[in-house]
Amino acid sequence: MATVQDIKRRLRSVRNTRKITKAMELVAAAKLRRAEARIEALRPYADRMRELMIGTARATPSRQFALLEERDVGNVAILPITGDRGLAGAFNAQILRRAFALEREARGEGQTARWVVVGKKGRSSLRFRRYDVAEAWVDFTDRPEYSDAAAIANKLAELYTEREVDRVVIVYNHYESALTQRVVVEDVLPIPRTALEDEEEKTPYEIALEGDFIYEPEPEEILKRLLPTYLETSIYRALLESAASEHGARMTAMRNASKNAGELIDRLTLDMNRARQAEITQEILEVVAGADALTQ
Amino acid sequence: MAAEGGGRTFDLSVVTPDGPAFEGEAEMVIVPGDAGEIGVLARHAPLVAMLKAGEIRVKAGDEWQSFAAGPGYFKVQQDRAIALVDDAVRAEDIDIEEARREAEEARAALERAEAGDEEIDRWHMEQRLRHAENKIAVAGR
Repeated sequence: MATVQDIKRRLRSVRNTRKITKAMELVAAAKLRRAEARIEALRPYADRMRELMIGTARATPSRQFALLEERDVGNVAILPITGDRGLAGAFNAQILRRAFALEREARGEGQTARWVVVGKKGRSSLRFRRYDVAEAWVDFTDRPEYSDAAAIANKLAELYTEREVDRVVIVYNHYESALTQRVVVEDVLPIPRTALEDEEEKTPYEIALEGDFIYEPEPEEILKRLLPTYLETSIYRALLESAASEHGARMTAMRNASKNAGELIDRLTLDMNRARQAEITQEILEVVAGADALTQ
Repeated sequence: MAAEGGGRTFDLSVVTPDGPAFEGEAEMVIVPGDAGEIGVLARHAPLVAMLKAGEIRVKAGDEWQSFAAGPGYFKVQQDRAIALVDDAVRAEDIDIEEARREAEEARAALERAEAGDEEIDRWHMEQRLRHAENKIAVAGR
């Protein structure tokens, strides 16, 4: 049986662990609120961008753009968006699991997968499995900037237009709430044609109401630059969703850890009291037995 | 009688991926179009244009406000103008020392990339340098 000393030592260690998990929970909660606000802040930009792209696409019949070109798929690039750090429940594992499933699927169809990755966790997993990683972006997953998304989009577009890959999919955690994150697989290249169309068909009257725009330069030129911007925005949204999911997952994981530590502390305290009681009883028995021996 | 267009205002927003930098009534806005500066007053014809990185100037009330803006797009429609840019910082909020430091760091990173450091994303660093230089130019005006 463990002595009071042993149990005390364990208790101290578990208490310290709980202090750490509590602190991590609070930090994650604060970062989560900020990440949520940033998803909100992106919405007006993304919506207006999309409107502008739809309007511009309506003004030009041409669809001969590199990023729209649909080809037979020989190589597919898979981009899992993971975090730089662990201790976030299933956050990283579920992304990688889905990404590997995608790779098996692609192989089953005779395609080759090329890996690009966001986050240190994903990078180390892929390297551990000895996959060839074409590019890894790390050190910003808990607070991504638009310029990070622009750099990723630029590389993906380059892989695509130089025909190194014929399709690009991203795998990321979509933020639903602090408790739930949903793994989403999204085709980002070629840019889906539906991105250029209204969700609801507009009547000629509604279109006429929007006015006859002067385009400077030609709508075709503008669309050519809008498409990469659209890609950047899609990537940025995914990075922000993933960051919010990471903080949410970490907050929940740390809350559970704190709760478990609390239960452990209760149990250890009980054990310790019991052990102390046993020690005292033992001592009394010894004293009484000793006294008995003297009186006889 | 007021001069033509004088005093008349329109809705203007300068929107970035991190939220709006300006939202409200404006009398005039001057944006850095790809082919030259574009000035817009109320009742401007519907327009879609590309913007390069530079300065966006807004006349709201009696004063001019200035923003260091990244590249983007500009749309005017029915007395409503929107500039969509990838970054916009109010001129008086620019920390010129910090901007200089950013430019320095980006330049140093580009030199290292030139020397063969493959860990550095050149394109990213070039963008960062351009942003910093734009901020310095606008703040110095």
